[in-house]
Amino acid sequence: MTTADLEEFEDELETCFGTSCGFCERGCPVYQALKVRTLSMKGRNRTMLGLLKKRFEITPSVVQAAFECTLCGNCDRWCALKNTDHTRAFREYLLKHGVEPMKEHSSLLASVKNYGNPWFQPRSARNKWLKGQDIPKAAPGKQEVLFFAGCTSAVMKPLVPSLVASAKLLRRANVNFAVMGQDEPCCGSTLLRVGQTEAFEMLEKENFDKFEALGVKKIVTACPGCYTTLRKSAESLGSEIEIVHITQELAELVKGGDLKVKRSSEKMTYHDPCHLGRLGGILDEPREIVGAASDFIEMPNHGYESRCCGAGAGLQSAFPKLSRELASKKIEEAKSTGATTLVTCCPFCETQLRTVPGMRVVDLMELLLKATEDSNKP
Amino acid sequence: MKYISELQAVLGDEKLLTDPAELYVYGADWSPRTSDEIHPPDVVVQPKTTLDVQRIVEVAYANGIPVTAGGGLTGMLGGAVSLYGGIYIDTTTMNSIIEIDPKNQTVRVQAGATLQEVNDAVNPYGLWLPHQPESKWVSTVGAAIACDNDSTFGVRYGKILNCLLSVEIVTGSGEILELGHRKAHFTSSGYKLKDLMAGSEGTLGVVTEATLKLEPIPETRIVEMLVFHRMGSAVDYLSRLLRAGVGIEAAHINCKRRLKFYTHAYTAKFGGEAEIPAWAEALLAIAFAGDEKMANAQRDHAIAIAAEFDAELVKEREIVDSWWASKYTLEFEPFKQKWPDVQKAKKFGAADPGVPVGRLEEFYHKFVEVAEKHKLEIIGMNAYLEHPNSIGFSLSCAVFVDYRSADEIRRFRLFHDELSKLAIEFDGTMSTFMSDTHQKAPYLELEHGRSLVYMREIKRLFDPKGIMNPGKKFPREEG
Repeated sequence: MTTADLEEFEDELETCFGTSCGFCERGCPVYQALKVRTLSMKGRNRTMLGLLKKRFEITPSVVQAAFECTLCGNCDRWCALKNTDHTRAFREYLLKHGVEPMKEHSSLLASVKNYGNPWFQPRSARNKWLKGQDIPKAAPGKQEVLFFAGCTSAVMKPLVPSLVASAKLLRRANVNFAVMGQDEPCCGSTLLRVGQTEAFEMLEKENFDKFEALGVKKIVTACPGCYTTLRKSAESLGSEIEIVHITQELAELVKGGDLKVKRSSEKMTYHDPCHLGRLGGILDEPREIVGAASDFIEMPNHGYESRCCGAGAGLQSAFPKLSRELASKKIEEAKSTGATTLVTCCPFCETQLRTVPGMRVVDLMELLLKATEDSNKP
Repeated sequence: MKYISELQAVLGDEKLLTDPAELYVYGADWSPRTSDEIHPPDVVVQPKTTLDVQRIVEVAYANGIPVTAGGGLTGMLGGAVSLYGGIYIDTTTMNSIIEIDPKNQTVRVQAGATLQEVNDAVNPYGLWLPHQPESKWVSTVGAAIACDNDSTFGVRYGKILNCLLSVEIVTGSGEILELGHRKAHFTSSGYKLKDLMAGSEGTLGVVTEATLKLEPIPETRIVEMLVFHRMGSAVDYLSRLLRAGVGIEAAHINCKRRLKFYTHAYTAKFGGEAEIPAWAEALLAIAFAGDEKMANAQRDHAIAIAAEFDAELVKEREIVDSWWASKYTLEFEPFKQKWPDVQKAKKFGAADPGVPVGRLEEFYHKFVEVAEKHKLEIIGMNAYLEHPNSIGFSLSCAVFVDYRSADEIRRFRLFHDELSKLAIEFDGTMSTFMSDTHQKAPYLELEHGRSLVYMREIKRLFDPKGIMNPGKKFPREEG
């Protein structure tokens, strides 16, 4: 069991009510943009508590409190409570109590069910990035390492170079890996974030049965969302398969000099994707790569305090105006460092941040590949 | 309700919250209470400008509706809770930094800016607002003024009133008034109406803007901790430091028990409790700041003098740093912020009396006695020096309160009232950083005697209909 029901968190909600420090408000991108307290974590916890105590019915503001959140985890960074888990359980609670999924989320869910991705792309679309790559397809007992490309980068053309770069880098690093191509399943992140817990739990079980059947020992993910989701599933299902993000796989090689990198003099900054940084705890490895490949400078809010780009947890689809506002704020912060390029390594963040004009947004793997290729040039 | 449509007409829908869930979350602050004890307002308004606030108060005045203004809602005694419903003005939507004047070292801000937002804005100029309560990330300028809360650096810079040059308010009849002396640091002209706002709890008007005095950021800060045999020795030592001419930036005398509460970061890191010598009854946390050479010289001189008082330096830096993290830097282990973590079963509750400097130790023993009488688990006492260059302190007499138990909340309130009243017997004061709220209102005459009549008249002048945060300072019917 990966998740818990809202009722199981009631004691934590009481603790938040008893404490009421509000330290979660300062770094909450949504609360800071809208300043309505039901949208801060303290207010959201109170809303859940009031609902469980039947102080009010499910109202439009209750639904908004549940869903107008990117689940970026900034509130967790400043707290000892499991706030993002409360929010996810809140969403599930509402769906169980007669709230219809938001129409934008319903279509995502239908797509996951029918196509194994939330993008309405046929399963075969996951093969596109593999054309001409000569990467073996995973087969039972034939490989120990599985490169898990994730759906978003595989089906969205502007993100394909990132996967190609990842595969080339893994090969340069002499990692023997295979891919699942069109058989690669959905990791279930979308289901989990929008409160479809039952569907998620069925899916994660199926997924790990497949991985185990292939005899995989390690999964290297390209997407931070896949990384946190698969890691949590592995833990909760008791699987011994090791889940790592590609930055972890490659940073050590860069540091040890096994991957030769040419450093550019360009000033670059790095955006921590919420799922990789705050939620995944992977803060140093991407910095080692950006630092080796450029004149790296931090943004004022970085690492655990990095501000969300606004794309996550269904916000982009259901609350596009707010989502755009958060992306603009992020780009402003990046510009304030004097950097000319913003590096990141999440398909959602990249797509989101590229919608804001005025700053070059580069994928970390593409940056690293170029820097390794440049190091071979005379 | 008729007045709500009038508010809609003057402000527009987007500045009003009326959904029951939204109202619910604005119905309680930080103070000890069960989750059944909540006072949602009837409407929350989110003004952007002083004129918006004026329009709100005019509607309230015309209709005789209670108006409670709030900021971060981290008050420790219910000051910004709408006891009688009505309109809650959420000032956090008024958080603009209006003018930074580096040459004159002032900043003009809207009242809803948090103390941290002010400091983030003025930091690039090498300046800071030294009024720093632990709640600085959430506590707003307006709330700091209205509550007159505490500051870590009081012994050097005082509290918010020492930083406040001028304040704009909207009175209870909707008039906009500027009180103070522009950018001059003080005045001998007129009555000091500006000073009335500190600790007024929104009972005279709503603070909408303030001009604050800033200070240059010292290059270096050194924090040390000394242990003493008695709390009284720590007071004598501080008096000796002032005689010696040592500049102190922060000074907090903790009883031994209190250390456990403030070293959560230590416990989170090492698993065990921070320990000090068994003989030590008091700890003094003390900070020195300035140019590195000067700060070090002050520190060295202060530590040398400590020998005269049989005090000992705490050498384990992790204890000192974890205390300071809790008090000021807020550098907690990620995902382990102390407030909820230490309060899973019970929360922090306090009385905030002030007593004459020579009677600290005597009052400490009374605090322990009263807490034990009401069967409350003691957190301990912290005496914060909060008056510039003097040993005057505010007292935080803290206990753990089971906020899931109505009976324990009741006993906590008895404890709070008893200590507040006892402070008068000690020739002291009932409140030094939490204000009076509705809690002390029934017995405010003990503190103020006949002058309470004059206070009521002042209230009437600013708030003719008694609509501004009713129930606070004075019971509602007399407001």
